[in-house]
Formats: sequence, structure tokens, C-alpha cells
Amino acid sequence: MTSDHDVIIVGAGLAGGILAGVLAEGGRRVLLLERGRALAYSDIPSDHLRNHRLTLYGDNTTPDPAGHPRVFIDGAGVPHTVLPHDARYQLNAFTVGGGARVWGMQAWRFHPDDFRMATRYGVPDGSSLADWPIGYADLAPFYERAEHEIGVAGDHAGTTHAPRARDFPLPPVPRSPSAEWLARGADRLGWRTFTPPLAVNTRPYLGRGACIQCAQCIGFACPTDAKNGSHNTLLPRALASRRCTLVTRAHASRILTDGFGQAIGVEYFAPTTTDSATLERRTARARTIIVSSGAIESARLLLLSASPLQPHGLGNHSDHLGRHVQGHAYPIAYGLLPPDVESSLLGPGVSVATTQFNHGNPGIIGGAMLANDFVKLPLIFWRQSLPPDTPRWGLANKRAMRDLFRRGIDVRGPVQEIPSPDSRVTLDPAVRDTFGLPVARLSGTTHPETVRTAEFIRARAEEWLRASGAERLWSWPAEKKFSAGQHQAGTCRMSADPRDGVTDPFGRVHGHDRLFVCDGSLHVTNGGFNPALTIMALAFRTAEHLLASP
Amino acid sequence: MSLSPSQLTALRSLLDRIIPADDFPGALAAGTDTYVLRHLLGDCTAEAHVLLLGLSQLDAETVARHGPYQTFATLLPTQQDALLADLAAARPMTPWPPQLPAAPWFHRLVELAHEGFYADPANGGNRDAASWGMLGYAPRTTPERAAP
Repeated sequence: MTSDHDVIIVGAGLAGGILAGVLAEGGRRVLLLERGRALAYSDIPSDHLRNHRLTLYGDNTTPDPAGHPRVFIDGAGVPHTVLPHDARYQLNAFTVGGGARVWGMQAWRFHPDDFRMATRYGVPDGSSLADWPIGYADLAPFYERAEHEIGVAGDHAGTTHAPRARDFPLPPVPRSPSAEWLARGADRLGWRTFTPPLAVNTRPYLGRGACIQCAQCIGFACPTDAKNGSHNTLLPRALASRRCTLVTRAHASRILTDGFGQAIGVEYFAPTTTDSATLERRTARARTIIVSSGAIESARLLLLSASPLQPHGLGNHSDHLGRHVQGHAYPIAYGLLPPDVESSLLGPGVSVATTQFNHGNPGIIGGAMLANDFVKLPLIFWRQSLPPDTPRWGLANKRAMRDLFRRGIDVRGPVQEIPSPDSRVTLDPAVRDTFGLPVARLSGTTHPETVRTAEFIRARAEEWLRASGAERLWSWPAEKKFSAGQHQAGTCRMSADPRDGVTDPFGRVHGHDRLFVCDGSLHVTNGGFNPALTIMALAFRTAEHLLASP
Repeated sequence: MSLSPSQLTALRSLLDRIIPADDFPGALAAGTDTYVLRHLLGDCTAEAHVLLLGLSQLDAETVARHGPYQTFATLLPTQQDALLADLAAARPMTPWPPQLPAAPWFHRLVELAHEGFYADPANGGNRDAASWGMLGYAPRTTPERAAP
């Protein structure tokens, strides 16, 4: 075994890159393991059938998709072996930078009450709803730091759902005419709207150029590198410090523990040489190990690392590991703009939002932020956005596409889910990955309260379009389903008491001195917002905590 | 997988009705047939066998409705559309194999055709970005300065 590193981070996604940057600049020697590749813009195809917004036959970042299946258990209990491009897989991007290479960039702070859901609403039967062991005030300085060091564009005065001490570093994204139309509709209802925060360079920042408002945004890499994440900010800083070693195509297979059960290193498979197709088994030791692989794979790695002292997996002392899987229910109301308001087809597209319904909805637990959608690809519009009575083929369909493509509008929101302990990640007893390791098995379904909140939010979305003057209006009822996806969270929830979760309030696995988790897994609840900025804030906080520790 | 000449003729006639030409190019002018064929040989080889069987079944449906001297390709467009509407509504006149009911077969072809027609031109079914021109869509990703 080698011990050339102080810290090993498993996963170079949004959180992993931040951890690496802060720790390496702080003097720590970091080994950063990433199962994907470091992809240049030109390595991420502009394929409208295979991207992270529409994965019909593949996606545009996953290496070796066939070698890493998952098992999805359907509502009837039947297992299905699924590949990454299947929606049931709950894919996030497997590449250096993670989902932020191809994301929609919404960079929201959670609402203060998102951290105390059980206190505010009580705990519904059958749910594992709980408060976070930390509050908004604990994260606020790190939210601010993420906004400035990653680069977030926003409306400081208008973004009022959470207290803010400092302006955004970048001015808000421009409003499209259809967003102005929605803002006027909200005014009529007495709802307050504002331009939502996006991690995009609305002007040159941190040495990179500005967004050119192209029409191929979410799901794809950015042609001007204006889409901000850790891959183009903190990770380059880590590498520039010369104290961070990034190994790509490195698949962690096990956290190694000593005779006392303490984590001492990581076993992983990596290419024998940089470009080799042959992978070899390696081990690396470090004082501190941080698992940052997303809510599904982080839980899987801790489960795979079971030892005689911890036979059910590291951190599984109180049977919380892998449970409480959450993403977001996402109700959408669709409509048609009146003929005098055209969609501009300018990216990113999301430019009007309201936080009117995140909390305080009568008889409803939690809620959601509502916003308009990203600029849409023609094929996605054909699949999702035509009025439901439009013929699906023939001249009538073609003419509807021609007449309505510039007139489609929709409003949608990430509904705060009510966690269920039965929605979980376990190890599949039969299916193995290319290294012979059990794959993640996904089972369970949404708590009924999530469906109730989603239906409430869907009605608000319809109300917004109606008040704005949409010519047609339609939507689809929320359903119970296993929910994780790109917003996956909850599988290693933090808790003050070891009986209530997997990690302590800094992400340290209970009972372990130097083993941490840092990604959406830690989220006790996932907010009524896109979760990325919270993941980033937690990464800054965990990294600073480690630097302050002896 | 191999495609008989009559299956290829049926496929082209079918695509021409799923996305007909009008003031703007339809499926055939945009090369959507090329996309579907490439697709059956590539990502969807598992589906290819039954999808091709359906093309032969389309001619059988034609014979059942219009007699032995017609194929789907020789019908008038209105006759073709009426036949396809029957299939879409799960009203076939011939027995379809159990693994290949008429309506799901037709809906899958409808999906494949539109995937090719509205996807990026590199996928082969949207030659010269014909459908995007009709919609006024362009990705406009050409940067002032290339990203790394």
C-alpha cells in the first residue's frame, strides 16, 4: 500500500471537485478518484437522441454503459436489469465534473424551513420525515461562498425566500418575452416572481467567457464553457496547487478498514496506463476518506465495504444506510402562448420563478418553487409538449409542430418529497458489474404525501398559466414511483444522534474518525428546489471542517 | 437482419404518410428512411425482426382490404391513411403475430420516424436540418471562442 495522500475523495463530481480544491489549496495532498473520463467540450456529443435531457438510446457522458447495470424493482416487485440510458436507472453524469457538465444550472439556496420539516409539519405515518441536524444559518456562509467561487447569476433583491448577506457575483440571466408574459400573469394573481439564480456566466467571470444563449443547453456541454461547476473552478485550482492527483476511469470497489473498523484506504480499479483498456486492482491509503459518488453509488460503496465489525455496511449501524431515497416529484403544466407572444428559443430559458408555494400551503406538507422551462429541443417538444388531442402522425401532426413549436410554454417545480424508509438502495443479490461486484438495487416508491403536495403544486402551475392568458392548458396527474434521478439524495442522512442517521452534521460517518460522505446522500430532506447549490455548500463546509481539524 | 425489396418499398411509403411532404420536406426528402434503417441495424437490432415483419404485414392488410393486386405502396394516399388509422386504432383485418400487435407496431414506427426527422442531422433523418428549418430552430452553438 502507498500512503502518498492525506485525503482520498471518491468521485470528482460537483462536491468532489470542491472538496479537492479547498483541501489541496489548504495544504492537503489529495487523491481524487473518478470513474468517468475528463471530457472536453468536443468529447460530449450534441446528439439529440443521446444526451442527459433525452436518453433514448444512450447519453453523452457515460463510459462503458453495459458494464454497470442497476436493478430496478417495479411496483409489482419484479426486478429489471437496466442500463444507464433507461429512466429507471436514475442516471447522473459519470464524468469529471459530474452532472454539472451538462446541467441546467439552477443554483438555489434551500428555504430555512426546508431544514426543519418535521418540526414544522409533524411526521406523517409511514414516512421518515426528520429535521436536519443543522439549520440554514449553518449553511448560509457556504452558500455565499459557492455562489462566488463557482459563479452564480441572480437577482439579489428579488431572491427573498432565504436571507442573503451579499449580492450574486453575476447579473441575472435575461428575461425572454414569454417569461415577462408569465411575470405579468403572476402579478395578476398577486404572486411575487423574480429571475431565478443560475450558475452561468452572464458575463465573463473567473477567466471564462459569457453564455451565448444557444438553444442546446440542458443535457449538453456548454460551447463557451459558461456553464459553471467545480470542473471549471475548484478542480482546476486543486490541480494548479500540485497537491491533487486526479485519476480518471478509477472505480472504487471498497473502503478498506483496519482491525478497529476505522477506514484506512480505498481499493479501486484503474487503467494500467492512462489510455489502457486494461484495469488493474490498486489500493491507496490516507488518513481521511471522503465518499462523494452520488446518493446511489455512495450508498452502494458503503454497503460493499461491509467488514466483520460492520457486517451490514459502513455507517449502517442503525439501518439508515441506503434508505430515504429522494429526488423530486416534478409536476408540469403545459399551455400555448397567445399568438402575439413567441418563445425566443434563447438559452438557458429558465428566467422567471416564484417561491410563493414552497411552504405555508394550507393542509399540505412543504411545496415547490415554480419556474418556466429550459429552451427545448424539437424532438423533446414533439414527445412532451404538443396538446394531448394532437394527432401523433400525418400532416396534422406536422402542421401542429410548425404552428405550435414557438408557442409552447410550461411551468414546473421540484416538489419537496416526504421521505420513505422503504425507498432504498441495497446490493442486488444476483447482478454484478464488470468487476464482479453486486450492483445497486433500487426499490420502493413515493410516500402518498409527496403525491398530495405534487397535485397541489400542479394546480398552482395551471393557475399561473391560466392567469397569464394561455390559450390551451393541460397537465398530467402525479403518480407514485421510485424517485431519485439527477436530484438523488437522502441515502446517508446526517443526524446528531447516531441512532437517527449515517453521518454526523459534518458528514463524518458515525463511529468513524476519518470517513466522510459528501454529496446529496447527506440531505435529510431535499428541499423544494434543485439541490446542487446545497450539495456545493455542504462540500465547502465539510472541507473547511477538515482543514480546521488537526 | 435483412430487408426484402418489398419491405423497403413498404417502409418508404409508410414513412411518407407518417410525415408527409407539404410546403416543407417530409420524411423521405429528409432521409428519415435512412435513419430508420440505420437504427434497425444499430441501436435497435433487438426490435428489428418484429418491426420488419410488420412491414410485410402491412402488405397483407392491403390485400385484405383492396385485393391481391395491390401493395401498401400502390394505394392512394387516402387509402393508405385509412389503413394506418385502422392499425393505430387496433383494428387490423389480418391476424398479426402475438408478439407484434398492429397498434404498438405502428406507434413504434411513428416514434422512430419522428426521432429521425426532428433529431440532429448527424443522426441521418433530418438532412440539411429540414425539420429545424420548418420550425425556426437552430442550436446556435457556434461560440466566439472555442471552449477547451
